[in-house]
Amino acid sequence: MKLRSALITFILLLCAVFTLFPILMGLLNSLKTEGDMMNDILSIPAKLEFGNYADAYHKIRFMNSLGNTVTVAAVGLFGIIACASLAGYKLSRTPGKLSAFLFGLFVMSMLIPFHSIMISLTIIADRLQVQGSTTGLGLIYIGLGVPFAIFLYHGFVKTIPRELDEAAVIDGCGEVRLFASVIFPLLLPITATVAILNLLWMWNDFLLPLLMITHIDDYTLLLSTNMLFGQYGNNDWSAILASLVLAMLPVILFYLILQKYILNGIAEGAVKG
Amino acid sequence: MTPSRKWKRSVALIAFVFPALLFYAVFTLAPAIGGAWYSLTDWNGLNPTYSMVGFSNYAEAFTQDPSFVKSIWFTLKYVVFIVVLQNVISLTVAVLVESRGRGKAWFRTIFFMPNMISMIIGGFMWMFIFTKVLPTIAAKTGLLFLDQSWIGDPKYSFFSILVLSLWGGVGYMMVIYIAALQNVPQALKEAAAIDGASSFQAFRNVTLPLIYPAITIGLFMTLNSSFKVFEAVFALTGGGPGRATQVIAMNIYEEAFSFSNRFGYASAKAMILFAIVFVITIVQLVVMKRRELEA
Repeated sequence: MKLRSALITFILLLCAVFTLFPILMGLLNSLKTEGDMMNDILSIPAKLEFGNYADAYHKIRFMNSLGNTVTVAAVGLFGIIACASLAGYKLSRTPGKLSAFLFGLFVMSMLIPFHSIMISLTIIADRLQVQGSTTGLGLIYIGLGVPFAIFLYHGFVKTIPRELDEAAVIDGCGEVRLFASVIFPLLLPITATVAILNLLWMWNDFLLPLLMITHIDDYTLLLSTNMLFGQYGNNDWSAILASLVLAMLPVILFYLILQKYILNGIAEGAVKG
Repeated sequence: MTPSRKWKRSVALIAFVFPALLFYAVFTLAPAIGGAWYSLTDWNGLNPTYSMVGFSNYAEAFTQDPSFVKSIWFTLKYVVFIVVLQNVISLTVAVLVESRGRGKAWFRTIFFMPNMISMIIGGFMWMFIFTKVLPTIAAKTGLLFLDQSWIGDPKYSFFSILVLSLWGGVGYMMVIYIAALQNVPQALKEAAAIDGASSFQAFRNVTLPLIYPAITIGLFMTLNSSFKVFEAVFALTGGGPGRATQVIAMNIYEEAFSFSNRFGYASAKAMILFAIVFVITIVQLVVMKRRELEA
């Protein structure tokens, strides 16, 4: 029994090493000069070399790229939560054919792969002149993100007693105020799930920004990193690794601080989805 | 209910749904319909005019486009490996992690971490491992099998793509499986143990049937996401060498945006991807629902 337990721990430790290995290797070698790295990739750096970071920080225009990524995610997140909570609540509360039809219309799209609509999406975005701007990209994310968010809100609203709505209406509360001051605060748990799932998706999505962002001033963190990689390829690994560490720093910090909520959100989203 | 009240209710419904519907119609519904329409045309994305060509784009994709057909087979191969490996490994890891007392939270934190990182960044880091670190380890330790052309040779780069995808995907499924395992009542497992079931028997006959819904979700999600794989391949091999590791999504992307700008033709390929995902999803949901009812 003890042996078996030790064996399981050993297997899990091996898996943990495998998981952390590329991150650790990236981190270690980003702190070496290119020469030191070539000498010995596996060693711990003898002397910490932060020059790569200064270099990478410059080349990926870290603050600018970070700002762009935040803009996209903020616009998208605000829009998704606002639009989907309103729609999900009302769709869940209203019986009848129209309501069922609209809900079905939203949910249906969860079957459509993004790659099946991306071509026409670039044309529409171009015509509406939302292509080539970070705000525009955020707006597109709203359209892509609302169906799943509505689905989550729709399910959650069922757990809130209807009597609450009725009591508020009797007290003379209008539809909008009822939603804003009674219902929305009660939706907080599912709003957290929606926020986390969508934030992760928008932050780490690559293809849509690649299609929509044209000017280098509007590059997100991923686009900048990708560009740097394209320029220096296999030649300047220490600078590239430093840029990768910089680019993943915000999400890793976010993860370590809000880990509990993130893991809950993932499990919630999957069970409902 | 009086007609006027019903009318009022519908107006309120539309008012609440309108903002979401607007964004959804413009950025999801319209492109979906547009894509289906363009797939029947010969539009090149630039000309103001185009003509209807019926289903000839679809016919061409299947009969005169070996790289597209090859990308379908390559994607299928990838899907089979990922769906099996990702679910088996995630479930195993979830069971092992759940069996730990202390340390449970640590393992969970570590295993989920790659999911926080974009596959583009993860892919570049693995590129470093495959092209620089593994050859060094091979030279130092004499484990010569580690020194392969992991990226350049399609025989090995398929494996590299799998490793990257599993690295990035296992943690997600693990979280879902852990949540399911935690919902299995402790009393049932204890009862099985008292009845003399080995821990494997208890898992097979008590736990597994109870987490069946989670496995449905797991299969559904991995199947869906692996058909649409793009980033992992983009970051590691870019579909190369040549088009040896090209997946469907990448073939569509290149057709529309890098090689030919044949929007109509690329839209037809995009519709084919949609049809594949759609059929598989429906079949799988029906089969799983039936099995769940029988169980």
